[in-house]
Amino acid sequence: MSTPERSSFTTRPDASGRRWRRIFLIIGAAVFVYALLAPLTSTDAAQAIGVPLLADRLWFRIATIIAMFAVMASAWNIIGGLTGYAAFGNVAFFGIGAYTTGMLIAKAKWPFFAALPAAPLASAAFATLIGVPLLRLRGHYFAVASLGTGVAVGEVIQNVDFRGHPVFGGSTGLFLPIVGRDITYFYLMVGAAVLTVAVTWWVLRSRFGYGLIAIRENEEAAAVMGVDTTAYKVSAFALAAALTGLAGGIFAQWNVFINQENVFPIEYNIQMILMALIGGAGTLFGPIIGAVLLQLLIQFLSGSLPISADIPFVPADARPVLAQVILGLLVVAVVVFVPRGVIDFFGGQSRLSLGYLRRSLRETSV
Amino acid sequence: MSAPVATAQLELQGVTKRFGGVAALDGVSFSCREGEILGIIGPNGAGKTTLLNCISGVHRLDAGDIRWRGESISGRPPHRIASLGIGRTFQVVKPFASMTVRENAAVGALFGSAEAHLPPKLAFQRADEVLELVGLAAKAALPVTALTIPDRKRLEVARAVATKPRLLLLDEVMAGLNHVEVDEALEMVRAVHATGVTIVLIEHVMRVIVGVCERAIVLHFGKLLAEGEPREVLRDRRVIEAYLGERYARQQEG
Repeated sequence: MSTPERSSFTTRPDASGRRWRRIFLIIGAAVFVYALLAPLTSTDAAQAIGVPLLADRLWFRIATIIAMFAVMASAWNIIGGLTGYAAFGNVAFFGIGAYTTGMLIAKAKWPFFAALPAAPLASAAFATLIGVPLLRLRGHYFAVASLGTGVAVGEVIQNVDFRGHPVFGGSTGLFLPIVGRDITYFYLMVGAAVLTVAVTWWVLRSRFGYGLIAIRENEEAAAVMGVDTTAYKVSAFALAAALTGLAGGIFAQWNVFINQENVFPIEYNIQMILMALIGGAGTLFGPIIGAVLLQLLIQFLSGSLPISADIPFVPADARPVLAQVILGLLVVAVVVFVPRGVIDFFGGQSRLSLGYLRRSLRETSV
Repeated sequence: MSAPVATAQLELQGVTKRFGGVAALDGVSFSCREGEILGIIGPNGAGKTTLLNCISGVHRLDAGDIRWRGESISGRPPHRIASLGIGRTFQVVKPFASMTVRENAAVGALFGSAEAHLPPKLAFQRADEVLELVGLAAKAALPVTALTIPDRKRLEVARAVATKPRLLLLDEVMAGLNHVEVDEALEMVRAVHATGVTIVLIEHVMRVIVGVCERAIVLHFGKLLAEGEPREVLRDRRVIEAYLGERYARQQEG
C-alpha cells in the first residue's frame, strides 16, 4: 500500500502552522501525562490519604487496550506505512507473542518477566522465516498471502496435537496464574507503546528508515542505489513483528486466559491498519492518534464506555452491529477525504476546510 | 594477470538476454576504459536499456559474462553492483515521490558505493554538493513532485552521482530536452566526468554523442553493429541503414 503522493498543495508549515503544531504537541503531552498519572489515584495508598479518584479500573482497562492497539498500529506502520507492504496478517505476531509467553508460564512455569522477552523474539523469528518468501510478493499478492498466513497460524496453534494431546492447549486455551494487578499491565502496555514510538522515531532518522521509504516509493530505484531491499524488508517485518509480539506477551499475562479467539482475532488486522491510515500512515504519531480515536469510538459505539449514552432508535443489543456500520462508513470517508490521515491537521500542514476536502476528493478520485 | 588489459574497467563478453523467444541482447561484447565517455546508440528496441539493466543487475543474463575490474559480476543483485561503484539513472525517471529533492539525493549517499555509504548527517552534506553540481541547489527543499521534467532528469543524475560511482550509466538523460537544456545537461555530464567518473551514456541526440563521447557503439536488434570514433560510426553505412532504412543509405551514397 503506497502512501498517497504528497501533492503540491501541502506546503511546509508556515509560522501559524508551526504554532498550531506546538499547541497540539503541548495538549498531547498534557493528555498523556494525565492518562499516565490518573490511574495512580486508584491505588490503596492514594485512596488512604484521600486523593480524589481520577480514573477507576474500567477507565484504565480501556486505556490499556488503547495502548495495546497503539503498539499494534504503530508497529504495522513500520512495515505498512514506511516500507509500503500492506501486511494483513500482523495479528499472527500478536498471537505468537501471547502463546510464547503463555506456554513458558503455564507449561514451563517460568516467571512472567523471564517469559516476556521471549515473545518479541519468537514473533521476530517467525516473521523472518515467512518474510523471506512472502516479501518477494508485491501489492495485493503480498496482502492476501500475509492474510492467509495470519489466519493459518491461529488454526495451527489451536489444532496441533502430539500423541492425542493438544500441544498449545487446543480449543480450551491456556490458563496462566494471576500475577500483579491491572495497573501493572497498564504501565507495561504504555511502556510498550512508548518503546514502539521511540523505535519509529529512531527509524525515521536512520539510514534504515530512508532505505525503507525508498523501497516504498520505488523498489527498483532503491535497489540500484544500493539498498539491500530483501534484507531491509525482512528487517522491517521482523521489527514490526517483535513489537506486536511484545504486546501479545503482555496481553497473555494481563488477561490470564488465552485461546485462538482472543489472541488471533482477524478484526485486529483490520483495526490496526485502519488506525494507522486514519491517523496518518508513515508518520510518527499518526498511528497513535488513530489508535486513540478509533478505539474510543469502537468502545463508545459498542456501549462499553461508562459515558456511553443511549443512541436513539438503536436497541442496546444492536449497538455492536451499529459500531461495524459506522466504522465502515468512517473508513470510506477517511480514505476518500483525508488520505494522509488526521495528523495532517495536527501537524500544522493543513487546516480542515471545505477546500481541503474538495482537493482531497480530486486527488483520490480518477 | 596480463598488464595491457588492466585498463578495461568494464568488460562484456557475449552478453545475451532473452525475453520469451526474443533475444533483446544477442552476444554483445565490448569493453570500457577507466575514465572514458562511451556512447551507446541504436534505434528503438535495439536493446540499449536492456544492456544497462544487465550491467546494473536488474536483469540476469541468459549467457555471457560481465566483468568489473577483471572480476565477474553477472548474477549479483543490484545493491551489490551499486556498492562496487556502478551507478545508473532510469530513462523513465523513478524519483522517491514523498521525499524532497535533497532527501532523494541523500538516499544515494546513504547507500551507494562502498565509498559513499555515509551516515545521515554527512549524506545530506554530500547531497547538497551533488545538487550544486547538477544545478538543483536552489530547489533542494522542494518536494520532487514540484519539479519539471528536465529537473527530474537532473535529479536522476544527482542521485546516481551521490552514490560516488566509478562508472555512471546514463539512460537517455537528455531525451525530451530543448536545445538550451541539452547544452546545460552536456555541461553537467562534463562536470561529473571531470570528477573522475567513467561514463556510459545511451542517447538519441547525436549532438550529445558527437559532443562528449570519445567512442560510440551501435546496437541493432540486440547485436553490436559498429564501434569506434563517434563521427566515423555515424557515417557507417550499416548504421545509417539501421536508423533510416536501406533506401536512404543508398541515396546518400548515390
